[in-house]
Amino acid sequence: MENLKLDATKDTPEINFDAQQHLIEVRGKSYPENTAEFYSPIFAWMEKYLSQLKDEEVTVNMDIIYFNSSSSKVLLDFFETLENAAGNGSNITVNWFYEEGDEDSLEFGEEFQEDFNSLNFKVVQKES
Amino acid sequence: MDDLYSLKQDFNKRGIFLSFSGPISQDLVVEIGATLKKKMKLEEAGKTTVLRVFSAFVENAQNILHYSAESNFGIIAVGSERDCYFILCGNSIDNERVEPLREKLTKIKSMSKEELKQYYKEQRKKGPDEDSKGGGLGFIEMAKKASRPIEFDFRKINDLHSFFSVRIVI
Repeated sequence: MENLKLDATKDTPEINFDAQQHLIEVRGKSYPENTAEFYSPIFAWMEKYLSQLKDEEVTVNMDIIYFNSSSSKVLLDFFETLENAAGNGSNITVNWFYEEGDEDSLEFGEEFQEDFNSLNFKVVQKES
Repeated sequence: MDDLYSLKQDFNKRGIFLSFSGPISQDLVVEIGATLKKKMKLEEAGKTTVLRVFSAFVENAQNILHYSAESNFGIIAVGSERDCYFILCGNSIDNERVEPLREKLTKIKSMSKEELKQYYKEQRKKGPDEDSKGGGLGFIEMAKKASRPIEFDFRKINDLHSFFSVRIVI
């Protein structure tokens, strides 16, 4: 399966999805004008990737400095997609990175951690 | 020319340090947002405060982009007073949007922080309403991050449009 790599832009994050290394990374800011348009190919890739997955260990690194409210909905859908795959036996670790002093990102991470019990969801403070 | 100076004095009096009036675009949201962050960092505002003000700016500006009845025209201003920052935003909307929006904001305004947190989670799970172009979460998110209840107002312009204004205090 092809990897999915997108450079960060002024309002969208860097996407680095590597199907061979089982590494999924989202890094940067997310507040595009049209959230659905940006994320639909990303979800298409995810669904294809997860459907082929057996018992390999997957690492998901989420390092998002800022996301708007419609991207917040996307994040929920993204974790739900992963949760469903994990419920089917996949071994998925999510690292939610936040910067020291960013209370809201920490809270978002902790809430996702509570909601997704089939994922190995870690909330990690970034090294400054 | 006197009028422009009195407008500036009025802004100073209200504590407004950044303002925009005109047709907004996503590029402008990015640029003005970056300027806002830079200015607040120079004032040594805390990280959470900078991000909350930036976030309220983006949500309001993108509301103008998605909902202004006057081809992306809107007014947005950011200021400080005592120990808070505030964001003012205004744009024309279709009259038929007034009541649903008033209802939504009245509901949000009456909620405690804990209720807002639950409501946010519920709405996020449920997905946006039919007439929403984003996640329908913007105002709930702003209310969660605000230090005071959201203030808002509607003024009828004519048979088609009303002017909607909102004030968020962080």
